[in-house]
Amino acid sequence: MALILTDEEQALADSVRKFVADRSPLTSLRHLISSGEPYDADVWKQMTAQLGLAGLTIPEEYGGVGAGVSALSVALTELGAGLVASPLLASLLAAEVLLRLDDAAAKTELLPRIAGGEVIATVAVASSAGGHVTATGGNGGDVATLSGTISPVLNGAEASVLLVPADSDKGTVIYLVDGAADGLTRTRLTSVDHSRSLARVQLSGTPARALAGDAAAALAAASDLANLALASESAGAMKACLDMTSAYARIRVAFGQPIGAFQAVKHRLADMEKSWELGHAALRDAARAGDAEPGRFSVAASVARVLLASAYADAAVDTVQLHGGIGFTWEHDAHLYYKNGLSNKVLLGGPGDQLDRLADSLGI
Amino acid sequence: MNDDFRARARAWLAANAPRRGSGEDDGESGQTTIADQKAFQAKLYDAGFAGITWPKAYGGQGLTGAEQIIWSQESRDYDLPSGAFFIGISMPGNTLVELGTEEQKKRYLPPMLRGEEIWCQLFSEPGAGSDVASLQTSAIRDGDEWVLNGQKVWTSGAQFSDYGAILARTDVSKPKHNGISMFVVDMHAPGVTVRPLKVATGHSPFNEVFFDNVRVPANALIGEENKGWDAAVVMLRHERIAIGTMGSSRTSPLAFDSLRDLAAGLGRTSDQGVRRDLAELYARSKAVQLFALLLREESQAGRLPGARGSVAKLAGSELGRFAGDVAADVLGDQLAAFDEDAMAAVTISIIAAPGSAIAGGTSEIQRNIIGERVLGLAKDPGVDRATPFNQLRVGTQRQS
Repeated sequence: MALILTDEEQALADSVRKFVADRSPLTSLRHLISSGEPYDADVWKQMTAQLGLAGLTIPEEYGGVGAGVSALSVALTELGAGLVASPLLASLLAAEVLLRLDDAAAKTELLPRIAGGEVIATVAVASSAGGHVTATGGNGGDVATLSGTISPVLNGAEASVLLVPADSDKGTVIYLVDGAADGLTRTRLTSVDHSRSLARVQLSGTPARALAGDAAAALAAASDLANLALASESAGAMKACLDMTSAYARIRVAFGQPIGAFQAVKHRLADMEKSWELGHAALRDAARAGDAEPGRFSVAASVARVLLASAYADAAVDTVQLHGGIGFTWEHDAHLYYKNGLSNKVLLGGPGDQLDRLADSLGI
Repeated sequence: MNDDFRARARAWLAANAPRRGSGEDDGESGQTTIADQKAFQAKLYDAGFAGITWPKAYGGQGLTGAEQIIWSQESRDYDLPSGAFFIGISMPGNTLVELGTEEQKKRYLPPMLRGEEIWCQLFSEPGAGSDVASLQTSAIRDGDEWVLNGQKVWTSGAQFSDYGAILARTDVSKPKHNGISMFVVDMHAPGVTVRPLKVATGHSPFNEVFFDNVRVPANALIGEENKGWDAAVVMLRHERIAIGTMGSSRTSPLAFDSLRDLAAGLGRTSDQGVRRDLAELYARSKAVQLFALLLREESQAGRLPGARGSVAKLAGSELGRFAGDVAADVLGDQLAAFDEDAMAAVTISIIAAPGSAIAGGTSEIQRNIIGERVLGLAKDPGVDRATPFNQLRVGTQRQS
């Protein structure tokens, strides 16, 4: 099991990178900021219908590509580098939850459409501070009603299908909620990260169908995949920060020299390079474990996320700082990464939560 | 073929090498076990596991990086009692493979692998550490010989070495990088004095070495006269890669497993700060190991690590510092004083931790290398690069 990319993975990385450069450069993100659209529907269509990105981890029997976790990580790294706005993360996590549950009807009905990008699905989860949902009535496949609030939810405003974990008389159960259901209010929030659409989801006597299967195991699997995904995006974005800032330090002259000659600048960039290399190595290990050693995946993905989430957030701040004044302007791209880094660090479990979970897994 | 090599390595290690944490010697503790270390290295050679990637003509196995990786993986859980040979083989040895004359390679490489001759590296001086090109030890030509005079410092293993690779100034009228040459020096020659150097921990893991009119033959020159800096760059690259990728023992007092057990023993694992520190230590240790593995895989695939060896070195040093901080956090006020051997080991390791950011090239120098050679940033101004060495101020010399 090698950490370095296979030829197929390298080809996938190259094609996604080219797609991002051609179809979703950073100028597109600025168009989305002006238009208020959460993502570019044409870009999403190409990501799913042409590149098959939403189906990378969905098996072929459910209409996916079944390429696996390492391929997913490679693709997300390139999308992260370009800050491509899309509901991909939401869809991946929803698919993972469905795959881990035992609800054959939901899998057959939803997974092919998620893989094809026709259905935007999301899992309504947040930290304990983000609220919770309670279910009343309903047994097994029966319809229950849900009440509560959860925020922030990935693409909560755009999703046509929501998977909502709720407290029921049988413990935590995951419910399927239609985007058009009665009593469902989705309020799009002002996202710190311009590439991520987040919403408050309020349920008030909202009808829902309970999904069969082990909810806790499904949510844990989704957390692991979220760690891998956010670590991948962060690795790509961090590399973009490193490349952008190194390039600037080579050409920007002050006090008669390129600023990269000064150790105050050079050493900070060297530290950024070091942190990226370490995080990237951990990410490759997690990606490989996801396909070849599932028993090791949870810890490996936590390790990659813990390292990269913090390293990227720091690198993005350094990117602003090392560019000086220009780096703090709206016109410069540094703030796009800075805000993405802030958000990636905390979404679906921040560093403290991650370390606590890792400590549990390691038997500390 | 790889599977075959792995099976052979695994079987041999199980039958011949002590497992880590078995209480047997760690292979680095010095003179008393040198005879044992030589015997073990000879066994390693006879079994076909010494100089795995070196050419067969010089006693190596003539195998590839793939077998080297397999060996590293398989031997990771063993304390190979041949640490006295680590520096010689990975630094002067690898440099001779690249730059030595045919005569030098045939003379020096096989005895190194067979466990007959131990080597050390003689670069640093009291006035030339990070700026090692400012070294003042001189080598003056006298007929068919060179005469060495000066002092080296921080020399690991000098007290039991048979040979050393030494940098000396051969032309003071040239700028500092252009008047240095590298030589093989016989550590038993008249005029060589080795003294232990006591460090902050109270131990003496290094030496000072004095050269007083030590004569070496003309054919002891490694590479070309006045091109010793190029040879030094080759050796320093091997040093960083060796240090950065050597991996750390899971049973060292600052390793994750050790500190987790220590925390449990002291009843500290219910403290959220300690738990998070330990989890972070696990993550950071893992990443350092994985990066070393990635570099080995890349070189096997034909992409040499080059200056990224400095990333491994810097990361390893910072991990050592972080592990020291975590250990201090675990110990709390128990760090302040101790009376048990177990506590002595971890406390001394905490005290020793900053040393790894200096030894083998400071973290500051690694950052310069990474900035300039990995990221392509402008070089440090180097105001002394063009000045003849005899007009420079070096070390702590006062301006006259």
